[in-house]
Amino acid sequence: MNKETLLKIENLHVHYGGVKAVDGVSIEIDEGEIVALMGPNGAGKSTVLKSIFGLAPINAGKILWHEKTIKPVSHEIVKMGLAFVPQGRRVFTHLTIEENLEVGGFVIKDKSLVKNRIAEVMDIFPVLKHKRKNKSGSLSGGEQQMLAVARGLMVDPKVLLLDEPSLGLAPKIVKEVFEKIHEINQKRQTAIMVVEHNIKSLLGIAHRAYVLDKGQVVITENHPKSLMTGDRLEKVFLGKI
Amino acid sequence: MNIIPQIVANSLIAGSIYALIALGFNLVYGATRFVNMVPGALAAIGGYTVFFLFNRLGLNIYFSVIAGVVVAGFFGYLSDRLVFRKLRSHKASNLVSFVASLGIFTMLQALISILFTSQFQSVLSVTENPKTYQILGATFTWVQGLIFITSIAAFVSLALILKKTSFGKAVRAVSDDEEVSKIIGINTNRLISWIFFIGSCLIGLSGIFIGFDIGINPTMGLFIILEGATASIIGGIGNVYGGFLGAFLLGFVENFGILKIPGEWKPAIAFGLLILFLIFKPEGIMNKKK
Repeated sequence: MNKETLLKIENLHVHYGGVKAVDGVSIEIDEGEIVALMGPNGAGKSTVLKSIFGLAPINAGKILWHEKTIKPVSHEIVKMGLAFVPQGRRVFTHLTIEENLEVGGFVIKDKSLVKNRIAEVMDIFPVLKHKRKNKSGSLSGGEQQMLAVARGLMVDPKVLLLDEPSLGLAPKIVKEVFEKIHEINQKRQTAIMVVEHNIKSLLGIAHRAYVLDKGQVVITENHPKSLMTGDRLEKVFLGKI
Repeated sequence: MNIIPQIVANSLIAGSIYALIALGFNLVYGATRFVNMVPGALAAIGGYTVFFLFNRLGLNIYFSVIAGVVVAGFFGYLSDRLVFRKLRSHKASNLVSFVASLGIFTMLQALISILFTSQFQSVLSVTENPKTYQILGATFTWVQGLIFITSIAAFVSLALILKKTSFGKAVRAVSDDEEVSKIIGINTNRLISWIFFIGSCLIGLSGIFIGFDIGINPTMGLFIILEGATASIIGGIGNVYGGFLGAFLLGFVENFGILKIPGEWKPAIAFGLLILFLIFKPEGIMNKKK
């Protein structure tokens, strides 16, 4: 059965001053899949995610949601069913865990639904339940990352965008984070697009992978595990392409 | 005669006015992260609106006060809508925003001078404020009592709004990380304009109270913003609870200070305290060291 394409990016160009951060990228994510977006530093991976949320200046190209072109206005995108967990965790450090989750559900008008969602995401991340009244600034890096993902899940998104979820985390915690990403995808059927430098962890769970270099897609692979063998990735990361 | 109770009362009254300024100042600073001079001019606008409606047109005092608060809030809202929102969208530096605020501050101050002259004006004459009360050996007027009660009420209301309502939580989220607030669906531009409105209302009210207590002049805003900033830095800049605490500390230090030092040195006491904090505890009382 063919799965519906939820989000499509067509021929995206993003320039910062004279620098072409993204230079004609076209990618898509179908319902229920995990898509990996990889590439060396400065390849334009994070910029692609930011541009979907109107946080990077789009010079050309289109963003389509359910085949309809959308205008990326930061505070409107989440209402469509997309959530974004930006790089560096960025939880609201002066708010408690519970308050972080509450504001994560800011666009939900029904407050009882917000309460139910908080209970739901706390079941996925039990560590948050035990510390619900703690300020999130007091959490460890791993716990903050879990909270950032949980905050994104508050709107029960169709697509979750994760930017470098393993950045700065200990290997044991990285494993846990990827297990959770896999679990969310499997149990909730949430489509997830992950920008990541931790290739091994990601390719193990991804359904599709795009590799970016210098702002362009250089590899599109529908069997991501195949990238773990051979030297295709090595060539990109070591600049041999 | 024991003058300590009177000095305590004076400290509480001064602290109450500083607290209103610091609440407004910190609310706006928390969301925008630059030192904004405009609220100083808005305090004068609040005071002069009451002066115009009550003293010149002879309208009801309560109506005049409410109008003064709303007019100050509206000018604050406009300053954001017309200037600061645009600067934010251009990702202007804090210095640029500060200079823009200084420009608006000067413009508004000049406008008040043109409309009302540069003279000192008294809003409530002694005959309108005759009643005094005595508590534990301290004497104060009903206006001074009102200032104290209003300031406490404003603080409690603001603290409850910030803690309990989804609007308040959104305000705190924006103060924490504006970009992520957008991502989760908060219309940050609209919210910040509201913050400007509420903060400016509080500062407008402080200007009205200063008008009632000692009188107004077009340049009063500079003193107000400096006292507000000092109280905020002492208490913890961007932290509304800290600003409130810092305001009362400032009130007490100033008023007890002039027991030993001539009154004209009062600002020097405030800035002396500020410098001590900047050297030894720059994060203020309530903020944690980074």
